[in-house]
Amino acid sequence: MLNSLSFNTGGDMLNAFKQFGFRQSVAVAITAVGVACSAPGFAQGAAKAAAKGAGAAAPAEIVGNAQAGAKKNSACIGCHGIPEYRTAFPVTYRVPKIAGQSEKYLESALKAYRSGERPHPSMKGIATTLTDQDIADLSAFYAAKN
Amino acid sequence: MTSNRFFLHVSASIALALAASAASAANIAAGKEKASTICAGCHGADGVTSVDPSYPKLAGQYPDYLARALTEYKSGSRKNPIMAGMAAALTKEDIANISAYYASLPSPLTFKKR
Repeated sequence: MLNSLSFNTGGDMLNAFKQFGFRQSVAVAITAVGVACSAPGFAQGAAKAAAKGAGAAAPAEIVGNAQAGAKKNSACIGCHGIPEYRTAFPVTYRVPKIAGQSEKYLESALKAYRSGERPHPSMKGIATTLTDQDIADLSAFYAAKN
Repeated sequence: MTSNRFFLHVSASIALALAASAASAANIAAGKEKASTICAGCHGADGVTSVDPSYPKLAGQYPDYLARALTEYKSGSRKNPIMAGMAAALTKEDIANISAYYASLPSPLTFKKR
């Protein structure tokens, strides 16, 4: 649509030059330039508005930092840092090994605990203290080897 | 005759005990067979190389944790539309077998020193 607009504007300018001579065509050209400039301007505005709408649903991507995650894991090591550690509630089973696990999975697990979608009293208690950045950092830390 | 009956009784008891232990102990071979048809498509044949990075690695995970996850998916207390469908088809025995199978595989899962 933008392409056809500028094409038409160019065509108009050519016709105007032919019909009215140089002075008039300069005026037409100035108008055309104005239209040409404002058209992308309008398009940019619309794109910004669209981005704003999309931004509300998906905020800027957060990148996990494994080194930062290493300083945030004090609540994790009491259970996940001990081989064979068992939970006491509600049913006894060994807490999962998380080091070396997929980063995306760890992130979705922590978010599901935080929202309550995945029910677990102690994991919910811990996850609710974490920001999206904390979760990304911890996931990067635990996903990394060593 | 009495000794024969005694022998029969003892051997029958042993056979029953063996059968009972075989039923309660997880069967890795049976788990492998089930897993190859149900789980491997997404979690990878090795339980590590999944088709989507958001799917967990299962190889070497604790069998009791895996069994708990599957049981929760089956009951619906842990919600995931894909896993709910998969777990619904599994018996308690299938869950034990599949969990034992994945736990037995070579694993990238480790422990952090701190």
